[in-house]
Amino acid sequence: MDPAARLGPAQIAVVAQLGVSTILLGGIYALIAVGLTLIFGIMRVVNFAHGEFLMLGMYLAFWAATLASLDPYFVVFASIPIFFAVGLVTYALVMRGVIHASHNVQIFTTVGLSTALQNVALVLWTGDFRTVRPWESFAIVRVAGTAFNLSQVVAFLIAILLTIALVAFMKWTHSGRVMRATAQDRDAATLMGIDTDRVYRLTFAIGIACVGGAGVLVSPLYAAYPTAGLQFVLLSYVIVVLGGLGDMVGAMLGALIVAAVEVVGSYFFGAAWKEVFYFLLFIGVLVFRPAGLFGQRGAETLGV
Amino acid sequence: MRRRLVPAVAVVLALAGMAAVTWGQALSGEYKIGVLEPLTGPLAGEGKRHLEGFEIVRDLINERGGVMGKKLAFAVADAPDPTAAASEANRLITRENVKIVTGTFSSRLCGAASEAAARHNVIYWETSCVDPRFNKRGLKTVYRTEIDATGFGWYNVEFIAKHLAPRFGKKPNELKIAFLSEDSSYGQGVTESARQRAKGEFGMQEVALEYYNFQTINDFTPIIVKFKQLNPDVVHHIGYTNDAPLFWRQAREQNFMFKALVHAGATGYGSSDFGKALGADGNGVFALLEPGPGFKLESLKPEGQKIEKDFRDAVQKRTGSYPLGSHQLAGSGLWLLKLVLDAAKSDDPEKFHTAVMSLDMPIGSMINGWGVKFSETGQNANDRVQHYMLQWQNGQLVTVWPEEFTTQRAKWIPLPAWDQRK
Repeated sequence: MDPAARLGPAQIAVVAQLGVSTILLGGIYALIAVGLTLIFGIMRVVNFAHGEFLMLGMYLAFWAATLASLDPYFVVFASIPIFFAVGLVTYALVMRGVIHASHNVQIFTTVGLSTALQNVALVLWTGDFRTVRPWESFAIVRVAGTAFNLSQVVAFLIAILLTIALVAFMKWTHSGRVMRATAQDRDAATLMGIDTDRVYRLTFAIGIACVGGAGVLVSPLYAAYPTAGLQFVLLSYVIVVLGGLGDMVGAMLGALIVAAVEVVGSYFFGAAWKEVFYFLLFIGVLVFRPAGLFGQRGAETLGV
Repeated sequence: MRRRLVPAVAVVLALAGMAAVTWGQALSGEYKIGVLEPLTGPLAGEGKRHLEGFEIVRDLINERGGVMGKKLAFAVADAPDPTAAASEANRLITRENVKIVTGTFSSRLCGAASEAAARHNVIYWETSCVDPRFNKRGLKTVYRTEIDATGFGWYNVEFIAKHLAPRFGKKPNELKIAFLSEDSSYGQGVTESARQRAKGEFGMQEVALEYYNFQTINDFTPIIVKFKQLNPDVVHHIGYTNDAPLFWRQAREQNFMFKALVHAGATGYGSSDFGKALGADGNGVFALLEPGPGFKLESLKPEGQKIEKDFRDAVQKRTGSYPLGSHQLAGSGLWLLKLVLDAAKSDDPEKFHTAVMSLDMPIGSMINGWGVKFSETGQNANDRVQHYMLQWQNGQLVTVWPEEFTTQRAKWIPLPAWDQRK
């Protein structure tokens, strides 16, 4: 019997649960995609190593919990400056040399970085699946017939706060304005006296800080292992393209759309179909709205 | 950059390997076999454990006179995916000149690796992959010591029908069963054979069948919500190591009540990582595996008792714990290879084949309590490769079935409420 064909209170509870799951899963995706859209949108660099920084964040949470019994929600505060520094170092060592190179070179570089980081993690920490077990990963919230994990709610709320903070930063601070100017026209920005190298460095560091923090936040939910980032990174690209490059609010909405496609598709058609659906959506957006669902018209000509 | 590095590294390693062969043979009489394992990539954790099992038994073999009067040595290669498995098998054969290749832990890898070996007329000795197609390709030099996935499905349904159903107070044909599985050949092989036997032989009611990709699944809630409405007695879930804990945790969140969950294989619920992830919250899960704590040595034949004990002690000494599934599969497989080589006294494929076919050992003769009887297709018989149902009890997998082999008993049947499984 097709469960979807039944009607009644049970069916309403199902719809409510699917809705809640969509929003919370979307929150996790948004958390991961926000840093990517920043780097993608402003630097025009496709960072294929994005997922590996997420993985490093998960390992940070694991080791902090194992060695020092620190709760991930405490570690997340420390992770922002740590990953900001990691971003700066990575930029200086790897990205700086290729920032003016062709996209092919940048792709090779970031794919190389991704593989290198995966294997460093494998050598240092083996391929075992490492799990953090703080109290909140087993804290279940039950509201009006729906159930979810406390960690998901926290991740969702922080995703919203992060998005708002980044939007405000981009709109109202000098650094933000400079970053937007650089994104719109690198050469003109240089002529106006903007140090674009500094802008890229800052952008990359903020992007990595976001995704590193995201890694810590998802650690109560998903196991850390060297290729853990791959589980999310492809998805993040779909989200960033849906939302429009460099558009933080777009990334949030894109994440919710992808999560809805995944949850509803899994329920009605089966989990095997979920990727078919969101990649169809991805291709559709690329064909009909290449700037993304919420992107600025003409933004696609900016250089990607 | 990586593309240029890899051949360069391969050449250096191959040269080093050849140097080692000539040098080693002159001095101590080494016999080298190729070992393919996923040492990087998503399967690396189990791959490394599997290699550890090989190394432990290699040392046991060398303490007992080696193989064919020579010291057994390994040429190890990393096979993270099927393409690498095939190319590394080729490299081991053409550059390291091995006449026997063994491995590979995973059903994703063994097909490609064995195909490459068979093309060179080199013996391929698989110890743990369970893809049912493995021995059905007409390849003459390919053998497998572990049962195939259809054997896993067979044992799982045997356990559900003969042990669980009576304890639920139901007849097998009154049981509702939901099948959930990752979609590689391992998951599909086990699930399809279990479905067939559950419906065909016992008339169980299949209420759901759901496949997913273990590398991209991030949320089981929609599936759990669907399953809850279908109200199965048993969830038959074949999962890998990141998805199994996720399903279990989310089933608990959704208060999904079923009477038992049954898995098969050394990944997912059968991996020690599941216990680390969930501790006592994982209580009650069943996983079909090699024997774990509770396994009675006295239930084996005398020669089986001796080697099983030596093996357990060696693993204990090296890892500090009871052998894990990957150790046991690699260990029993390599020990059996030694028995064959002792009988054949040659790695010539014809003589090797004759020696394999001549082996006939009852259950209880070997590590894991296995017996040996190969079919013409190179497959060890399902009914000789005894498998055991283990259950997670307070962070440990213990042997609970068949009861004549164990001191421990299955608990929580049917599963009580989620917070009462202590």
